[in-house]
Amino acid sequence: MIRIATLSPLDPTDTVALVKTLRAIFGLGTEHVGDLPLPRGGAKDGSWDAEELLAAAGPVRGVADDKLLFITAAPLTLAAGPLGAPPSWGFARYGGDRALLTLDQMPARGVTEASIEAWRRRLAREAVHVIGHLWDLHHCYDVRCAMHPSWSPHLGPAPDSSLCTFCREKSERKIRLAKS
Amino acid sequence: MRGQPPRHPDDPKAELSELEGTIADASALKPGDRLVYPAQGVCVVVGPETQEIAGHRLEMVRMRREEDGAAVLVPRGKVASVGLRRVASAELMEGVFHYLAADLADPELNWKIRHRDNADRMVAGGVLGIAEVVKGLHALSRLRPLPTKERGQFDNARHLLVAEVAASLGVSPGLAEDLIDFALMPPAGTRFKLKPPPKPILLPSRPPRRRLVVDDEGDGLDDLGLDELGIEGLGEEAAVEGGAEATGDAAEGDGADASEGVEAPVTGASPAQASGAPLKLVPALAAAVKAAVKPAAAAKKGPAPKKAPARPAKAPAKAAAKKASGKPAGKPATKKKTAKPSATKGGKKK
Repeated sequence: MIRIATLSPLDPTDTVALVKTLRAIFGLGTEHVGDLPLPRGGAKDGSWDAEELLAAAGPVRGVADDKLLFITAAPLTLAAGPLGAPPSWGFARYGGDRALLTLDQMPARGVTEASIEAWRRRLAREAVHVIGHLWDLHHCYDVRCAMHPSWSPHLGPAPDSSLCTFCREKSERKIRLAKS
Repeated sequence: MRGQPPRHPDDPKAELSELEGTIADASALKPGDRLVYPAQGVCVVVGPETQEIAGHRLEMVRMRREEDGAAVLVPRGKVASVGLRRVASAELMEGVFHYLAADLADPELNWKIRHRDNADRMVAGGVLGIAEVVKGLHALSRLRPLPTKERGQFDNARHLLVAEVAASLGVSPGLAEDLIDFALMPPAGTRFKLKPPPKPILLPSRPPRRRLVVDDEGDGLDDLGLDELGIEGLGEEAAVEGGAEATGDAAEGDGADASEGVEAPVTGASPAQASGAPLKLVPALAAAVKAAVKPAAAAKKGPAPKKAPARPAKAPAKAAAKKASGKPAGKPATKKKTAKPSATKGGKKK
């Protein structure tokens, strides 16, 4: 089951739309477990280290093989590599049970129906992306796949939230093999 | 920048320089060492172990794959040959990132060569070889979608690279993948100060595949007992002569004559045979001839043997007769047409 916990307030209609999308794409039960407080301390220069925040995020009651998605509005940073630090849209423990998504990099939500709809689609896309990592999915070269890197220059302005055939089949295999 | 590194043309495998960190001796392994097992991933040495397998006592090295805890047992004597190596150093890993971020102008387009070389790189190429596979297939994916098999290979290579980058840099696999893709697909406006990438991996040369020709492959007729049957005209030379004549006639006539084909011997169609080269029957054909001749051999004991006419000799005779009569070439074709009225009526049967 996928459980969503919000570390920053999120519009209830957006949450409902996100739950529906995740349920449809992964074929798993999905629910919003509620709002949790952002852990105190740990933020440097107004931004959190993604791994630290994910480790410090409050406990959520669940069962084995549950996947937890934390959503926050706080900006996140990642450790730098040999070529620098990549932009952070979220972070997931690869093959694990916890993922974190930030709204900081998202485009403005706007007030029109069209802009809100586009924002929800992008939110769903990023949520599918980080949860996909929990199912052992790597980044995908297909720009239409939700597993394509979020910062890729090839990504269109309104990317799709669905998975490509390869990623979908791989995630379905992993879900079938899950213990519970 | 450079394209896919070419396969080394001449050097045999033994003469290629060893990869950095390759384990040459099992005694160098200590419990807790982190190693990379080619095509399997990062493993941790648990320790030496003795196992009795099929009555033999074998000294093994037990390892545990970090990804899923799977047990890996390698005989001590084979540690050097399986390609175990230590996790790449930070300097080598930096070179790998500079290679990933460099432009790749010309991915290999021949899928056979590409797939074979990529498979070799993943096993024997070290971390740079895996990075070459990832980069090459990624560059190709920008041109066209990868076929299913290579899509799987790309995913496997990426999986191995992520695991080794994570182990080498001491970061989580999720971050390692972000770092790799940051180098492969930098965001718009990002520019790297790149150093010259490391030298490409030299792959072991493979000898070209040759078709094995057995010397007595074409001598199957010796075992058929044709002499006992009194068949003298079906020797190799007779068949070749008939074939050569038929070929010559067919070449002289027009296309319709040549394509009449059913009665013309197929074996005589090659120019090598027409020039007198020995005829070689494929084993299946020889077996078929043998099976056809067996009943005749059984009947030999009764009445006096009749001389069976050599079949290939029919064709030259018929072709010569056709020439002499001067019939138009298309006539047999028209006969065939008239012979199938039901086919032209759209399947209506009366």
